[in-house]
Amino acid sequence: MEPLLRVEKLSKSYHTRGHEIKVFTDVSFAVNTGELLLVTGRSGVGKSTLLGLLSGLDRASGGSIFFQEKEVTGLSLAELAELRASSIGMIFQNFNLIPGWTARENVEAVLMHRGISAAERQKRAVEILRELGLADRLENLPAELSVGQQQRVAIARTLVNDPVLILADEPTGDVDPETAGEIIELLLPRVKSGRAAMIVASHGLFDVKLATRVVCLKDGILSETAQ
Amino acid sequence: MSVDVITCALRELRQNWRRTFAVVSGYAITVAFIIVLAAVLLYSRVVQDIVIGGTGTYFVTWLPACGDISSLTEKELADLAKGIIPAKCQEQCENCTGCNKKPYDILNEGFVVNTNTTRLLTIELAEKVARLDSLKNVSACLMFRFRDPTNNLIFTAAGVNPQDYAVVRNCVAAGDLVEGSYLDAAQPGKILVESGFAINNGLKPGMKFSIAEEEFEIAGLVRTGVRPLNPDIMMPFADAERAINKRIHNPLEKEANIILAVSHDATHHIKAMEDVKKLLKTDSLLTTGCYWPASEALGLSERMVWGFMLIVMLGSVMFAAKIQWSAVVERYRNLAILRAIGWSNRVIAWQLLCESLFQSVAGSLVGVLIGVVLITAVPVNSLLGVDAAMTGVLNPVLAIVVIAFAVLAGLLASLFPVLRMHARSPLDDLRRF
Repeated sequence: MEPLLRVEKLSKSYHTRGHEIKVFTDVSFAVNTGELLLVTGRSGVGKSTLLGLLSGLDRASGGSIFFQEKEVTGLSLAELAELRASSIGMIFQNFNLIPGWTARENVEAVLMHRGISAAERQKRAVEILRELGLADRLENLPAELSVGQQQRVAIARTLVNDPVLILADEPTGDVDPETAGEIIELLLPRVKSGRAAMIVASHGLFDVKLATRVVCLKDGILSETAQ
Repeated sequence: MSVDVITCALRELRQNWRRTFAVVSGYAITVAFIIVLAAVLLYSRVVQDIVIGGTGTYFVTWLPACGDISSLTEKELADLAKGIIPAKCQEQCENCTGCNKKPYDILNEGFVVNTNTTRLLTIELAEKVARLDSLKNVSACLMFRFRDPTNNLIFTAAGVNPQDYAVVRNCVAAGDLVEGSYLDAAQPGKILVESGFAINNGLKPGMKFSIAEEEFEIAGLVRTGVRPLNPDIMMPFADAERAINKRIHNPLEKEANIILAVSHDATHHIKAMEDVKKLLKTDSLLTTGCYWPASEALGLSERMVWGFMLIVMLGSVMFAAKIQWSAVVERYRNLAILRAIGWSNRVIAWQLLCESLFQSVAGSLVGVLIGVVLITAVPVNSLLGVDAAMTGVLNPVLAIVVIAFAVLAGLLASLFPVLRMHARSPLDDLRRF
């Protein structure tokens, strides 16, 4: 079976004041549907940068990314946006909810501009927020929600378009262990049921036992770690 | 642009209502300012027309009498009387028809403009002058110096079409009447007499006055003041033609000797005079001189209003650009989130342009309303003492032009922040903000 995501000799470097700063080089790995790949490493080694490249929010300096066997490194910005909207869900450490929008509006945002009617969008957003226990918080602004509720809204936003690849950047980094457990409980069934693959970037707070595989990014090199 | 974009734009404007209010207010104030300035500019043209109209955007022109007639032979003179123009006069007399229409009493009588003797010219030529773009109105006129053989009284009489604007400005107007009634082209046989001439000769309305052995009734006395043409008698053109024909060798055939003209406005006056000089190939032109400083002053004020309006327009574009820039900068993080969850740059750009469009349209409409209220409420005409309301210059075209400008300025102003947003990395923005 072809992997959902295949990364070949991926490298990323920045140019600052005439100097080239290499973040990582020749990173290669593959992820299948139903797998949870945990990318570990110290802060600043490039875990978030790697997720940024996988999501198409950033451009690689070299190498290739194949998503469902289609190379995505050469896609246009519009095609990458479409890919994110249809197949990739992202979860950020600090939730990244839009402060002026209600929980429902934040979730609905993913479904906008995709030819889905307003009624259908609202129905799907409300459904998933109810599933995540936020039925009574639909019209609340993020500032009116607890940290755990905010994270659940962020997860609802990620899952509402039923993505096949979930990219999570320190999803449990800023929350207490209990909330972290809840987050995992919400995300993991999607992976375990074989509906999606998940790549989690964490510097150590994520429970490695939950991961199918663990890779470590250190000094610009990605290496597989024995669990 | 989809319904979703419009929905999102409206939601953004509603949720950030303070910023929206500030932007719409900014547009409204700017547009109101431009509307008022444009109205002032248009009104100043109306006032200019009224003021300058009374101070001399008019002139008279003629072809001076030919000095070569004394060099003609007996035969050439005899031919002239038959209408045959001598070869050597052909070029010089291109526009002249009158060598064969010399008065019988050549020493005392003749075609004149005030004290200068003139040639004749065709009505057709006057109509050609009337077609010049720089002129507002043109009227052909006859002015002849008569001598009454019974008492040797020498006087000038002008035959005019009294309803013509050029006559009103250059010769006589109903407002000049000091006694009696004004000329009526439909009532021939009546004349107006200049009040000074009337006093000197004991003339009053209702009395008869003899011109070329024909009795005319004095309809009224007029004081014409400072006008280029100052005849002693003013009468309908047809009456004058009939009277003059009795005093010259051959009758007039659709001819006049003076062209009365009114230029479009003070700023076009010099050009109008130059156009006429060029067409008639003459330097003989008479105008009042006070139009020049007045036109300069009004032209200056007009340029100042234009300049001020330009500054306001540039200011409004910069204001709109600043506001749109701020609106994008403060939303870098939000825009980055939207890009991360799959919104394309094109959709975001459309939304930003849409927001700008809504704000500029709403602000412009409010601004037009404020401008109209201001123009209507301030009694500018009574403050200036001008007999023309400022509301007269208001028209839908002005409003549409100003709204179109404001909307265009808003869209242009939002282009730069939109392009800037395109160039930014959403990952950087998510990390930074």
